[in-house]
Amino acid sequence: MARGAHCMTPTERPPALQPACALWCAGDAPDMRTLTLGGAWTVHGLDPAPALHLPAGCTTVRVTAAGDAAIHAATLVTTRDMPAAEPAAVVPLQLDTAGALVLGRSLKAWADAGIVVDRSALTPAHRQLLDLVLARAAPAPQLQPRAHAGLLGDIGRAAVAAVREGREFLAFVGELAWRGVPLLLTFWRIRWREVVVEIDAAGLRALGIVGLLSFLIGMVMAYQGGATLATYGANILIVNLVAIITLRELGPLLAAILVAGRTGSSYTAQLGTMRITEEIDALQALGLSPFEILVFPKVVALVITLPLLSLFADVMGLIGGGVVASAGYGVPWNEYLSRIPQVVGVQTLMLGLAKAPVFAVIIALVGCMQGLRVSGSAASVGRATTVAVVQSIFLVIVIDAGFSIVYNLLGL
Amino acid sequence: MSGADLVIEASGIVNRFDHNVVHEGLNLAIPRGCIMALVGGSGTGKTVLLRTLILLHEPQGGSLQLFGQDARAAQYSARQRLRQRIGVLFQGGALFTGLTVLENVLLPIREHGAVERSDLADLGMLKLRLAGLPPDAAHKYPAELSGGMVKRAALARALALDPELLVLDEPTSGLDPIGASAFDRLVRELRDLLGLTILQATHDLDSIWHGSDMVAFLARKRVLALGPAAELALRDEPELVAYFREGRSLAFLHELQAASETGA
Repeated sequence: MARGAHCMTPTERPPALQPACALWCAGDAPDMRTLTLGGAWTVHGLDPAPALHLPAGCTTVRVTAAGDAAIHAATLVTTRDMPAAEPAAVVPLQLDTAGALVLGRSLKAWADAGIVVDRSALTPAHRQLLDLVLARAAPAPQLQPRAHAGLLGDIGRAAVAAVREGREFLAFVGELAWRGVPLLLTFWRIRWREVVVEIDAAGLRALGIVGLLSFLIGMVMAYQGGATLATYGANILIVNLVAIITLRELGPLLAAILVAGRTGSSYTAQLGTMRITEEIDALQALGLSPFEILVFPKVVALVITLPLLSLFADVMGLIGGGVVASAGYGVPWNEYLSRIPQVVGVQTLMLGLAKAPVFAVIIALVGCMQGLRVSGSAASVGRATTVAVVQSIFLVIVIDAGFSIVYNLLGL
Repeated sequence: MSGADLVIEASGIVNRFDHNVVHEGLNLAIPRGCIMALVGGSGTGKTVLLRTLILLHEPQGGSLQLFGQDARAAQYSARQRLRQRIGVLFQGGALFTGLTVLENVLLPIREHGAVERSDLADLGMLKLRLAGLPPDAAHKYPAELSGGMVKRAALARALALDPELLVLDEPTSGLDPIGASAFDRLVRELRDLLGLTILQATHDLDSIWHGSDMVAFLARKRVLALGPAAELALRDEPELVAYFREGRSLAFLHELQAASETGA
């Protein structure tokens, strides 16, 4: 069977490129065939690769490149499924390692089967390339198929991973207490320069977003509460509603969630990238503690920043509520402001703000821990960042619920 | 037709970062099939020049012809096609960390090549073996490789599309001396068999003296001298004297002189 059908099929490739083709021609002896190669036997011209099927009764193959010798149409070996290609159309051979590999495999298979393969008509460079490729060709090693443990195994593995991660987090908290408290006692040794930089990044630059969102949430609360209260003529109670919810819950919670998304994620990305570029290892090799230099300043900065951001969120939320109360429900501004101290005391404010440092420690530790756990690839930085944000927001809300229960039990 | 056999023809290249002028009126022409070493002291802009030539950095001035085409005036798609004809080995390897070595090599072939799916793995393995990697490295991730193996894997990826021009940034740094000379041999072999043109920024004296046909010496914000290492070593510019006739270069110079004396 002789083929060479891939020669002049129209393709979408650039016009200069003619895909690889192979033509069988009759040779000098009856059992000899000439294989003429043309076109791009290159990485760009081998899909589909010409099928090299040895014609029946052929014991000697002479390989030539198109362009050197004219092909006489009369000598073309044709079969019913392949009309003779226009010989003039055969373009000069381009051969690269990809083409040499495809061609060399067939030549080697024929040679192994006892067929005489005569490559003397090819240029020395092409022959050398074929030899080089055949000498270096290797099959891809088998991938070890990963044994699938089944549903139960997956659950078990996930449970073990969760427990392990929980332990790691506890160890991290322990490290903070063990190494951080002595550092706090010798507070002049804390890297205040880093702390100030972190406060600037996590606090000052977050004022806009925290302020705007708190203001809007305050407005929304006043609208929703006001609509109901106004039906009873109790418009003035909007103050109670907005002030208590904002100061006790929403201010600190909103600030914490925004900081978790904004700052916790950046901690993870920063430390994760530093792990990949071996900067963490470099610090350790220099006898410096990554915990002291990288983690602790971030924790300190957030513990200082988050209560302040929460206070700012409280104020902006109250203003947002006030705007709606005065504009929409006829509660005058000075009335609104003077009622706030009557309905909420300093205690309410403090109960809310007391949660902020706890949130801050959680956010900073989760962000740093996930960053330091990164290993290997760039994709794992992205995964770690996602995990850090999800975990810290989850923990912030869980802890907030815990605070509510404790406050309730204490009758606060 | 003078441009026909030049792979790279850069003239009047200006590279400036704020007020720091790196290149001013730099000219460089590389004939096809040449192995050219780009040398110069640290901070003379070798990497910036390489990045300019592979179209990663847009120079502030000058003209750049790649394979006879005006690369600076070329449209986006033409520039993308030009890039496919250049294989690049970055200094740190720059392997994709999320892919195995074999997948790294196959990525450009899958995206740009036209090879039958069943041939892909064999072709990727061939490139790995050409670059001197053992077969069992194929399914490893870059993080699991040694520094020298990262270099080889990156070379395999640079060779993936059988480029006409191979640009190597410090190819032999981080390789042991035996590995480095094998690397030089491999580069020469590929040039001879595939007609590659090779431009390598290097500090490796062995590569400069024995592994390159031409040396382009960067100094004074331009290519100060261009020619075989043995020729540059005899010139009198102070930068060239310092580079080629002092310190460890002396051994190579003496070796060369001894060889020419015995030859005469």
